[in-house]
Amino acid sequence: MKQVNQVKLGARFIADTPHRVSHDRCLWAARMRRDKVASEIPGWEEMRALASQIKRHTLSNLDEYLRQFEQRATANGVHIHWARDAEAHNATVLRLLKEHGATVVTKGKSMLMDECDMRPYLEKNGIEVYEADLGERIQQLDNQRPSHIVMPAIHKLRSDVAALFAKKLGSDPANDDPRYLNSVMRRDMRRNYVRVQAGMSGVNFAVAETGAIVVCTNEGNADISAALPPLYIASMGIEKVIPRQCDLALFIRLLSRSALGLSITQYTSHYLRPRPGQEMHVIIVDNGRSRRLAGEYWEVLKCIRCGACMNTCPVFRRTSGLSYDAPYMGPIGIVLEPSYNLNRYARLPYSCTHCGSCGNVCPVKVPIPELVFYWRDLIVRKHKDELTHRLEEGMLKYVLLDARNLSLAEKLGLWGLRTLPESLLDSPLNPWARAHANPEPPQETFRQYYNRIHRSDHTDS
Amino acid sequence: MSRHGILSAIFAARPPKVELPRVPDFAVSGDPLENFMSALASYDGRALRFASREEAISWLTENVSNKEVKVFSALRDFKGNIDRSDLRDPHAAHEVAICVARGVLGVGETGSVWVTDESLGVPAAALLCTDLYLLLRSADILPGIHQAYRAISMRRLTYGSFFTGPSATADIEAVRVTGAQGPVSLTVLLY
Repeated sequence: MKQVNQVKLGARFIADTPHRVSHDRCLWAARMRRDKVASEIPGWEEMRALASQIKRHTLSNLDEYLRQFEQRATANGVHIHWARDAEAHNATVLRLLKEHGATVVTKGKSMLMDECDMRPYLEKNGIEVYEADLGERIQQLDNQRPSHIVMPAIHKLRSDVAALFAKKLGSDPANDDPRYLNSVMRRDMRRNYVRVQAGMSGVNFAVAETGAIVVCTNEGNADISAALPPLYIASMGIEKVIPRQCDLALFIRLLSRSALGLSITQYTSHYLRPRPGQEMHVIIVDNGRSRRLAGEYWEVLKCIRCGACMNTCPVFRRTSGLSYDAPYMGPIGIVLEPSYNLNRYARLPYSCTHCGSCGNVCPVKVPIPELVFYWRDLIVRKHKDELTHRLEEGMLKYVLLDARNLSLAEKLGLWGLRTLPESLLDSPLNPWARAHANPEPPQETFRQYYNRIHRSDHTDS
Repeated sequence: MSRHGILSAIFAARPPKVELPRVPDFAVSGDPLENFMSALASYDGRALRFASREEAISWLTENVSNKEVKVFSALRDFKGNIDRSDLRDPHAAHEVAICVARGVLGVGETGSVWVTDESLGVPAAALLCTDLYLLLRSADILPGIHQAYRAISMRRLTYGSFFTGPSATADIEAVRVTGAQGPVSLTVLLY
């Protein structure tokens, strides 16, 4: 299978100044709001540490908590299903829909259902599926995957949405006011809600203590999808379970503050039982997660899908989520996707500047910066990387493990900078030069400088 | 069987045991009612204060009852013009323009109102209406989310939600628009 080349795909977005500037501005604004609200509540860092520990505790007892959740939810009258992989998940959904004769489905946003490619599968089997989240619906109409976990269409300009809605929903192509575009969506969805026969959503948290599933949205779309039809299906990865209701309080306080800089999502909803006349089903999905739990990188399973790492990432903000060509994008994507398909996503861990910001904003302390190195190391050892990376790593090993070699390399570098013609330094042999001007050659190498200063220190004393 | 397969794969993969920490009571400073009012306003919700429940109800009678639209009320002391029995199929809630219901408790930290299937009567009406009115006792506003979750019982609950302002979206260029899929306005009547 072909490797995803994020650098190449991202370059197109970088070249598109209006989109890049808007994207960067929206995400950085979310990051700044996050900093503001995080600083306003006391104990933020303590909360992050606790949340991380609760997740680590849960993952180290995951089978027990899933059993407890299953037992409570079943006692509440909820049907629990288990799906080993995406195919089993999709087949379960289709079977439930068929049993109920449901052909019209509205659904809330679910990264898991996207990961399972559920929508095309259902559509192929004659089910009408309507994404009920505005951003997700925009992406559905445009036949694209979401570009961000929390803001699926944030890479688009309002003019793109106006053109898309005009084409697909018959709205005024000249009106690109977000308020107008939202009203177009609202009117269109109301037509679907009248006919909806089954509602679906993802799950943000599943509480073992009570059997509750918790779904967080701002639009209320998941709530409507659950409240109207006689069938409600929610899908969750095995890592979504948390032990207690008091733990839930902590995660709710962290989630939306990290995601958008809001203290809570407008609809923070708890589903415990089907209402009279309704059936409620929860599908618990593995799809590689138990394998991930056994890996050295198991802490990726702590992720609560807030998107804070994306909002802060200098690479993501300038290249947008679509350039990762994967269900999960940005910092969490580059350390998660290789575990789904090492060959296809072998280049993703290189889309990182090592600034470390993702690790600092993650509300559950997923060690993303460290995991980038874990994957790069594995990728080089398995020879899945590009030749240049291997040459680079081979050279670095030679240079960094021996002080004399390093000293020689420094002198060689300075000599090259002074002597070699610009045409050679700027050649395709040196990809660094593509976006960086060469510095003025300094008078001496760092080592020469250091030794000189060090000696003069001694003379002074 | 997939259940057994998944659970035994998890058992075999479990990382070393980590202790479950105690979650402390994160105190929220300031007056819960004042915090509630300002937080709700930041979510484009409106708060009205009344001296008593009777006053709140008479305000509703003056300002809501005369509207020539479908009004659903989950309150015993305020009647709408559409009955619960008319909404036995929740799809019928599409007709509801105004919904009046009870909030169980409020959260000062976030400006949220905890509502349940029981307090809303017909949740679909509270979700599909244009204007939502929630009655809430000021004394039932707790300082923060931690305190709220301690007070909430999930026993016998079908659906419970923290409603915070009307529905909203910022999915197009992060421009905040209220009235996404659910209510366009939320008014909390405090007494």
